[in-house]
Amino acid sequence: MCSYKTESNNENKIKRRKFLSIVGNSATGLVTFGALAVTIDFLSPNVIKERPPKFKVGPIQNIQPDTFIYEPEYRVFVVRDGNGAFYAISAICTHLGCNVKWIDSNIRNDSSVAIACPCHGSKFNRKGEVIEGPAPKGLQRFRIKLSDDDLIVDTSDIVSEEEMYLKV
Amino acid sequence: MKNLFVKIMHSKVWDSIFRSKLPINTNLDRSLVIFNSLTLHIHPVKVREKAIKFSYTFYLGMISFFLFIILIVTGVLLMLYYQPAIPNAYENMKDLQYVVSNGMFLRNLHRWAAHLMVISVFLHMIRVFYAGAYKPPREFNWVVGVVLLVLTLLLSYTGYLLPFDQLSYWAVTVGVNLIQYIPVIGEKTKFLFLGGHEIGEYTLVRFYVLHCVILPLVMVLLIAFHFWRIRKDGGLH
Repeated sequence: MCSYKTESNNENKIKRRKFLSIVGNSATGLVTFGALAVTIDFLSPNVIKERPPKFKVGPIQNIQPDTFIYEPEYRVFVVRDGNGAFYAISAICTHLGCNVKWIDSNIRNDSSVAIACPCHGSKFNRKGEVIEGPAPKGLQRFRIKLSDDDLIVDTSDIVSEEEMYLKV
Repeated sequence: MKNLFVKIMHSKVWDSIFRSKLPINTNLDRSLVIFNSLTLHIHPVKVREKAIKFSYTFYLGMISFFLFIILIVTGVLLMLYYQPAIPNAYENMKDLQYVVSNGMFLRNLHRWAAHLMVISVFLHMIRVFYAGAYKPPREFNWVVGVVLLVLTLLLSYTGYLLPFDQLSYWAVTVGVNLIQYIPVIGEKTKFLFLGGHEIGEYTLVRFYVLHCVILPLVMVLLIAFHFWRIRKDGGLH
């Protein structure tokens, strides 16, 4: 491994200077990488004071078909469609995170623009699917459950289009 | 009056602060002023008259540096009335405008100097480009200059969140969502910038520390290096 020659008759024997420099450099390297790893770890907060993922809307008798409720704190639309089924979609644009706005609540079909983003002009239908604009995908859909007369929306549970409806 | 100045400049106190002996007449004296100065030999001892002609550089680098000095002075003063917390940040900003004496003036000075610095740094880059000063042997100083441009923009961006109004909030929301599009590390980088999943207390403190400590520190070091390299790479011709 070591290419240089030693005066000693044992060729594998290393000099004190070389030994100390290896030990010193290894220790410095270890401490440097350790400090770096600890610092990177330190940058990620372990406890974040953010609101819990679930919230309550209701009672359901007060929500008429073909209307929606906007929950500003969670940035979620809770919608009741013409058949009386409920679903919840995010109001956070999938492009760069602006708040989308419900521009026409009288829309009955899925091919018309119901929701629009003021920042870069993405447009969505009433189910949150992209109709035009830079948004790469549809608005997120959240699982919605019934608890007594109230609706529980779980923003940590993202579901597909088939699963998003709650029929009552 | 003149005698008083001469007396002061030949006093023991003056001599203890300034090492160069007066009067300065010869080229050797002039070089000693530079070699003995605090910033060592960041500037050349002699320059050609042609190289410091206004129409040659338009003094754009120096203007950028001067604006940076204004930003540091006004920024430090603004820090005395600002707390990076919610809702204090917004209230402090409004207090600076309407309650603190000359606060509006100071804040606007900081703001306009920031805008002008972005413009002057950009114009400086264009001037250097058209003079072909990015070519060897000055190619590395061009790279340092590009890093300084990025730092200038990052300082503007991090400062934008600090008033914590609607404009700040949405500009930073859009900005960090851009970071999210970086492959593999995008999500994690966004989380580290925000100190959470959305803009909150931690985000404000993080942007504040970046804006007031980390970025200016790197900026000062690189500016010093940038100036020194101008001369080491052959100066202006």
